[in-house]
Amino acid sequence: MWNELTLSTDEYSNMLHLPIDKVSERHWGLTPALAESYLEAARVILDIFHESPQRFRLFKQQEAFNALVTWAAADERCRAAWANKDDAVRDGAYLFALAASEVMLGWYAIRRAETRTGADYYLAPLNHSPEDLEDVYRLEVSGTRLDEAAVRQRLMEKVQQTRDGNSNLPAVAIVVGFKVRLILLQMVE
Amino acid sequence: MHHSQSEHYASQAEIAARAGQSSAAVDYYRLAATEEANALADLDSGKTRTLGITVISAAALWMKAEEYAQAERLALEWLGNKQLPEFAKIELRTILQSIWSEQQFQRMGISLSKRDVLVSLSGGEVVIGAAPLDLIHQKENEVCNIFFRVIEMLLGKPSRRRGGPSAEIQNQFRPWLLQASPGSYQFAVRIQQSPQMALFSGDELTTEEITAKFLEVVEATVQDPEGVLTEVVPDNDYRKAFLRLSRNLAPTGKTYKRLEMRPGDDRQASAIVMLPESRSEIDQSLQRATQATQTVAGVNRERIAGVLRAVHLDKDWIELHNNEQTVRIERAGDMIDDIVGPMVNHSVIVDVTVTSGKRYFQDIQLDE
Repeated sequence: MWNELTLSTDEYSNMLHLPIDKVSERHWGLTPALAESYLEAARVILDIFHESPQRFRLFKQQEAFNALVTWAAADERCRAAWANKDDAVRDGAYLFALAASEVMLGWYAIRRAETRTGADYYLAPLNHSPEDLEDVYRLEVSGTRLDEAAVRQRLMEKVQQTRDGNSNLPAVAIVVGFKVRLILLQMVE
Repeated sequence: MHHSQSEHYASQAEIAARAGQSSAAVDYYRLAATEEANALADLDSGKTRTLGITVISAAALWMKAEEYAQAERLALEWLGNKQLPEFAKIELRTILQSIWSEQQFQRMGISLSKRDVLVSLSGGEVVIGAAPLDLIHQKENEVCNIFFRVIEMLLGKPSRRRGGPSAEIQNQFRPWLLQASPGSYQFAVRIQQSPQMALFSGDELTTEEITAKFLEVVEATVQDPEGVLTEVVPDNDYRKAFLRLSRNLAPTGKTYKRLEMRPGDDRQASAIVMLPESRSEIDQSLQRATQATQTVAGVNRERIAGVLRAVHLDKDWIELHNNEQTVRIERAGDMIDDIVGPMVNHSVIVDVTVTSGKRYFQDIQLDE
């Protein structure tokens, strides 16, 4: 574990923060209980590799951002609840993907819709009606605790998988690399 | 309004399911399905994408609520509707297939894990929907062996060297093979849990935990055998066993070129991909693990290819036929039955050390 960041108060307050707290207040497709559960999952995974705060690199095709991530360390109960790290990576990645969509696209999860194997979130600007999904983007998420090459490979797979799928397009593919502090976003039209 | 109520109940269901409260989860899904069906009735049918997403959502919720007849009725009703977009029709057909399987299992009183593992092979001699029988039989056995090892590890049993899993474990957890939708060549595996539980201390172990751990172990073995795998499988003997079993599962590139595994119930999950390179990476990792503990000065190493003809692990030797010669390899007693058993009469590669003209066993793998 390491913490490379030593920031002055000014630097800290001027830096872009990845908004992983109180996500349900802005993303109406997510309930407070589920948002809290995703946050717990993310804290457990972050604690494996890092100490708060950390700088994450965010890429949207050619655009790059840096964003600060701060979190409270997970306690014993929380770690026990998320003993299966694959589940924690998957749910923590949902939270980070929603926060990344917020800062990189200005889009929020306006609706959750069930599928045979889970649930999809649909993204749109704030105040878009959740009753009209004609022009909104479906969110495709993947998380990993592997290295940077694996994060990039995962994005290519995710984009291909989305294109090969049942054509419920358009979509946004987001991959979160917790260990390497990297978030990649790509639009799939 | 109905839809936001549905979202609320579906989220509660997801949280309950994760906490292991499956009955509460089903109840929440039932409430969510009722609200989603009401939302569907109020929908403007001119918005075809919204309609498609909502129909899928309602059918999926009835299925998750285990109200299979409701789910079936809704899916069949909408499949005949011309306004429904194609993506929704494809998804509804898949939902119907799942419903019919679940109804059949329910009628037979069989309780299988919700989560299945999809295994697909491609390349080489494997074509869409067809593959050599011996290859598929072998891969099914290897997957089954990894499942049983995962169960034994989760139950805290010591790593097994001889024989198959105990009768108790085989009675309590039984892997099932399911037909999967055609792609390359695919099959699905799910675990059946016996209703006669509490035979031994593993009674709290669920089939969902086993499946999740299975995927976690295989993924770590392929992607980070010397990093994440040590966290996922702290026991050294188990780790070596999983590495050897996974190496056999990975392609050499001759009869098939790619093997993928993914949880069948989680579309978001990325596939675990095994390529010929994965086999060499696992192999190197195993060699490092073996050499780290067994490096002795002045000892030569050899790699011998041949057909495994005889195994006598209790007497500590195996025999290979190689260029019409019989090669005996000593100190093979550390080998594990479920790894070496399926290799008899198949081509194998054996790593040995050679001292005073005698060959001593280090490692063995299938050579297609």
